[in-house]
Amino acid sequence: MHSRRAIAAGGVLIILSAGLVACNKTTDEGSKVDTNRVTTGVIATDPKDSRGPAPEVPGAKKGGTFTIIRQTKISHMDPQRVYSFAGLMNAPLYARTLTYWKDDGKGHLTLVGDLAETPGKNVNNDCKVWEYKLKSGLKFEDGRPITSKEVAYGIARSFDPDLTGGPTYVQEWLADNAQYDQVWEFKTNKTALPPGLSTPDTSTIKFEFAKARCDLPFALSLPASAPLPSDKDTGVNLDNQPFSSGPYKITKHQVGVELVLERNTNWDPATDPIRHQYPDKIVWTFGPNAEQGANRVIADSAADQTALAWNGVPASLVAKVVGGSYTSRTLNAPTPSANRLTINTQRVKDLAVRQALNYAIDREGLIKTLGGATVAVPMTTLMPPSTLGFQSHDAYPAGPNGNIDQAKKLLAGKTPELVLAVSDNTAGTETGTQLKNNLEKAGFKITVKTIPTDAKLDETKKRDNPWDIWIDNWAADWPSGASILPVLFDGRGIKAEGNSNTAFINDDALNQEFDRVLAMDPSAQAPEWAKLDKRIMTDLAPAVPLYVDVAYFLHGSKVGGLYVSSVFGYPAFTDVHVKA
Amino acid sequence: MFRYLVKRLLSAALTLIAVSVVSFLMFFALPRDPVTGMCPKNCNAERLERVRQELGLNDPKHEQYLGYLKGIFTGRDLGSSQGGRCDAPCLGYSYVNSEAVTDTFGRVLPVTLSVVIPAAVLWLLLGVGLGVVSALRRGTMLDGLSIGFSLTGASMQLYFVGAVLQIVFIYNLKILPVPHYTPLLENPVDWALGLVLAWWALAFLFSAIYARLSRAQMLETLSEDFIRTARAQGQPKSKVYGRHALRAAITPIVTIAGLDVGGALGGTVITETTFGIQGLGRTAVDAVRAGDLPTIMATVLISAAFIVVANIVVDLLYASIDPRVRLR
Amino acid sequence: MASGITLIVLMAVALAAPLVEAMYGIGPHEQFQYKLSSLGGIPLGYLGGISGEHWFGLEPGLGRDIFIRLVYGMRTSLFIALAAAVITTVIGVVAGTVAGYVGGKVDAVISWIIDFALAMPFLIVALAVVPTIALRFYGPREEIPGWFRVTVLIGVFAVFGWTGTARLVRGQVLSLREREFVEAARASGARLGHIVRHELLPNLWAPILVTFSLAVPSYVTGEAALSFLGIGMVEPTPDFGAMIFRSLSYLETDPAYMVFPGVTIFVLVLAYNLFGDRLRDALDPKSKR
Repeated sequence: MHSRRAIAAGGVLIILSAGLVACNKTTDEGSKVDTNRVTTGVIATDPKDSRGPAPEVPGAKKGGTFTIIRQTKISHMDPQRVYSFAGLMNAPLYARTLTYWKDDGKGHLTLVGDLAETPGKNVNNDCKVWEYKLKSGLKFEDGRPITSKEVAYGIARSFDPDLTGGPTYVQEWLADNAQYDQVWEFKTNKTALPPGLSTPDTSTIKFEFAKARCDLPFALSLPASAPLPSDKDTGVNLDNQPFSSGPYKITKHQVGVELVLERNTNWDPATDPIRHQYPDKIVWTFGPNAEQGANRVIADSAADQTALAWNGVPASLVAKVVGGSYTSRTLNAPTPSANRLTINTQRVKDLAVRQALNYAIDREGLIKTLGGATVAVPMTTLMPPSTLGFQSHDAYPAGPNGNIDQAKKLLAGKTPELVLAVSDNTAGTETGTQLKNNLEKAGFKITVKTIPTDAKLDETKKRDNPWDIWIDNWAADWPSGASILPVLFDGRGIKAEGNSNTAFINDDALNQEFDRVLAMDPSAQAPEWAKLDKRIMTDLAPAVPLYVDVAYFLHGSKVGGLYVSSVFGYPAFTDVHVKA
Repeated sequence: MFRYLVKRLLSAALTLIAVSVVSFLMFFALPRDPVTGMCPKNCNAERLERVRQELGLNDPKHEQYLGYLKGIFTGRDLGSSQGGRCDAPCLGYSYVNSEAVTDTFGRVLPVTLSVVIPAAVLWLLLGVGLGVVSALRRGTMLDGLSIGFSLTGASMQLYFVGAVLQIVFIYNLKILPVPHYTPLLENPVDWALGLVLAWWALAFLFSAIYARLSRAQMLETLSEDFIRTARAQGQPKSKVYGRHALRAAITPIVTIAGLDVGGALGGTVITETTFGIQGLGRTAVDAVRAGDLPTIMATVLISAAFIVVANIVVDLLYASIDPRVRLR
Repeated sequence: MASGITLIVLMAVALAAPLVEAMYGIGPHEQFQYKLSSLGGIPLGYLGGISGEHWFGLEPGLGRDIFIRLVYGMRTSLFIALAAAVITTVIGVVAGTVAGYVGGKVDAVISWIIDFALAMPFLIVALAVVPTIALRFYGPREEIPGWFRVTVLIGVFAVFGWTGTARLVRGQVLSLREREFVEAARASGARLGHIVRHELLPNLWAPILVTFSLAVPSYVTGEAALSFLGIGMVEPTPDFGAMIFRSLSYLETDPAYMVFPGVTIFVLVLAYNLFGDRLRDALDPKSKR
């Protein structure tokens, strides 16, 4: 008697709870991401482009608090240590750099001078000597002027091995050595500058490199070139309380809970060609996971009308927000984040096997496993469509679900045994199951090995790693093919650990092609990279291009001015404003 | 009494030391390099080696362990990349969180306490109350309902209950805010609103267990001779049941309650994951996943300390409530 | 007894999983992704893809059949829970009996070990050990067989789970030891083994049985909780906890995904709890109900 009651009670509870959610029919609707969008970008040649103020955003008014909801805290705020996407989109609020991007959110980019008057003067036209002249009227958050001394100090401290985490382009180029912190020690030389860096006067900073570095203007768009006065350098503590040179400054920071930025009254809009200062306050709230954050913004209650859910709309909630009233609050754009199935060519030596993998792959099925069209779109090239000069091609046309027969033909009856490495989180293991079922249809024998999520990147970057195939992600730091193809496929830099060329190919003819194209003028390089992309896939097939990540974000109804960065694929805050 | 206390404290200290040694060894015995999490994108073998050197990972294991223990009592000097001098009690520096472990705890411990203690009060009141009442009204519909309730609660899963509560109260009825933590002293109302669902989810599950337990205990006590005698003497029902029966029935409940609370304080991982609150449990899980040894060691020690202290408190309570118990 | 019948039915289905698969026609690893939406990957149609072919619908993402995965998942869960319950009960009884009967230093040591095992945080140890222990035994390219993971999980439960039973048995033995019939047996020169077999165990088997039957559902729940955290059974093995964990995210867009594993595990745990309760009522001489 009791048992029946108990069972009834529990059963009713469960059915009720499921029934609380409306019983709808799920149908298929088309995706809205423009996969044909290409990125165009130039380095500004007209000094006018680098001058402020930035054009007003139509309809934007000053005032209000803009909130960003994110699950985990931003790993680094110290500009010299920022390298995560959240950090990179957060930094422009409080850190200005020598150069930065003007971005219309639709793929049209212009690299302009931010602290500098131009994106850089190539003094001898050999890309070895660069000069930057700072604008006048630049100030820090406490009112003191920003001079070349502070910019140089910022770059110098990035040599400090305690301040790890940020990009290492400028350091490696100045030291002409991957072990830059052994070439020049920051701690013992705090009053001096690293080799090649000099400040001829208070508004000029000069870079002298041993080799041609035509990408310097791009590299300086990263927060690592942000200025810092030496007496404000608090070492590892700067991570939680940086010193501002931008339109906002950090006023309150509770680690893992809340980060509050308020107006920096010493920022002069007349010197800034990109940023605005509409909201009074910008607040990062940490804690809610992706579903909770998305649900909050979907509900659009009073507090969340001025919020953005940073973790996007997870696949599990997409059906709730597709179409209708949510469209005006949705940011949906392709990103430069490209994912490929890397093939360890040291182990998988047979080209036919690699080509067979390219034919067998079911991209549509993989994307469904990941969550559908709002998470990823298929990609058949090594460089994502957001790269400057992109040209679409498919070296192994297999259709959206793969061409198993063609793969079997190439394998000619063999059943190669391959070990697939995946992260041990839910997404990784499900991807493993998906790929295993997919590839085994063509005759491959796949063993799935899980690696702890935090260790996967480091382990697969080791030259002697024991696996055959795994998924790699690459989001270029700037949208040029020069920061993709040679980095990923030049075999001359292969070392024991920390490789980016995880296919480990080392083809002499290819390497020479890289050298040839890198020496060309940046604007002439673009079509050459596209040609190389096709050539690498056809001749070497070192990977199976899989998909491009899609940005799919939801914000509250009272937020305006948000767009997805064409450089990084995450929401940018330069134009954000709160509607009344 | 005093001798007993001293004996128990010594035993507790021994337990804590054993726990810390075992966790320490466990993490070094596992095939996981502790420095992998500490050096991101552009690290190479030399820099990793230098990090290892600075962290003292190349010193013999017992030296590392003793240094860690010493730091807890007298403070330690960590390298500049770890913030320099670390005052007692020094629990180390976490690269993953970029802060001293003691700071992490200062943030995270109040959250777990705020989740567990009010929930414990709720589940004890609800559970014991329900159990006692249903024992007194044995056989009636109330008794049947409460048994049904206990069985259901004991068979439910916390993550399920938590998810349903959130969907109903937060997203459908919209009468509660998304679960979050606000310090009690800052805003008591918001503190309560942000955690109330977590309290009720825990209370639903645990009170079921306590209702069952107290009902059984109460029934057993009620059938004892001394109760019959007291009633026969004409003592009022409230005195008989309230003072005599309840007191006798309560002792095993106290034991289990103490252990449950102690255990809950150290391990509310599922609650925190379900409700998206960053407390001690989630911090521990994140630390293990990231290989963050100092945080792991500290969380293990604190959870163990909670349980050990709870054990001692329970034994003392037991002795004071039940005169038949003699502490040896 | 409704609970007993439910239990037998569930266990029979779980045992006969391959037979069920043969009759049902679909295996636990087959994918039907063409029946999923391209927005979110959730099943097309009503109620999570329920149809004549798929009785409980399909999983979002990978598109596998839920019914057959539940059947196999139940088999895994029950096996782990029963094995863990048996092992922990045996260890607990032995430890408790020795501690209670022999007393003195042995009792002090065993009691301290129990305190120590209780103080070690189960979840943290499990988190640290379970994902990485396979690396100790298998090379980086070898496939880890499913039974290894099962063994590791049973082992983890065994190391931590015997303490409750041990304490209970110790308490019982302590009070039994002072009883006249035990004293009489001792006085008449009976050896330890004899006393344990003929005087102690006959009085202990009732609470032991009850503890055992109540331990099983707690291990089912525990294993589901571990899978919830990602350290239980891993892909592609079907598992309750993993399924429920995933289904929580889809609660608003595909609630049917949660209903079936949620109800099944609830019924399973409830049936065991009820059975254990009834058993306790029947065996406990002091209860007059």
